[in-house]
Amino acid sequence: MIYKVSYVVQGGEYPGGIKNEIERPKVGDTVQIGRTKFTVTEVHEIMPARDDFQFLHATIRPQFDEAGT
Amino acid sequence: MELIPLLKQVELFQGLTAAQLEKIVAIGTHRTVPEEAVVFQQGSAGDALYVIVNGQVEIRFDQPEGGSRAGLYMGAGQLVGEMALLDHGPRSATVAAVGGEAAFIRIGSADFMQLCQQDTAIGFTLMRNLAMDLSFKLRQRNYRPSSGD
Repeated sequence: MIYKVSYVVQGGEYPGGIKNEIERPKVGDTVQIGRTKFTVTEVHEIMPARDDFQFLHATIRPQFDEAGT
Repeated sequence: MELIPLLKQVELFQGLTAAQLEKIVAIGTHRTVPEEAVVFQQGSAGDALYVIVNGQVEIRFDQPEGGSRAGLYMGAGQLVGEMALLDHGPRSATVAAVGGEAAFIRIGSADFMQLCQQDTAIGFTLMRNLAMDLSFKLRQRNYRPSSGD
């Protein structure tokens, strides 16, 4: 299964991304979008799976927010 | 580089047989660009679509006050340049490699359309998958997450 993931950043200050992943993202995972690292905070299905693809939304938060910087 | 295994991991080509994928390979060319290199520029004529097979790209939009801003990042398996291929309009954004080298399969518009017309089974599958990809991008753009607070 290939997971086509729409990454959307909380707060809208950063661009999101679209990537294919070989493992389903989980809450707490780290993902790099562009030059910034993010933590996954929410994952849900965006539309039904088709053939070898599953389609997901993942909400993410910049990691430097977590460090309070 | 063996392209068939790469194509099988791209949504655009889902549903195509090995023989049909060979026809895609015949019209595709492999292209690699270094980090920060521009693949195509906003406003330029769109003569091809690109399938990202490795690396990551930044989608940049020109700003009225000058300069540009990043609007989206896309990784392996994603398509860029498909809008101009379909509607023949100018490129709607600038695409550049970020975070390292990026590799693509480039498919020229004329070859793509000719293949779709000559082999309508391939044409149906590619057009359906292109519509799915545009739908996904629209959903991505419209999605507004909760604040998380």
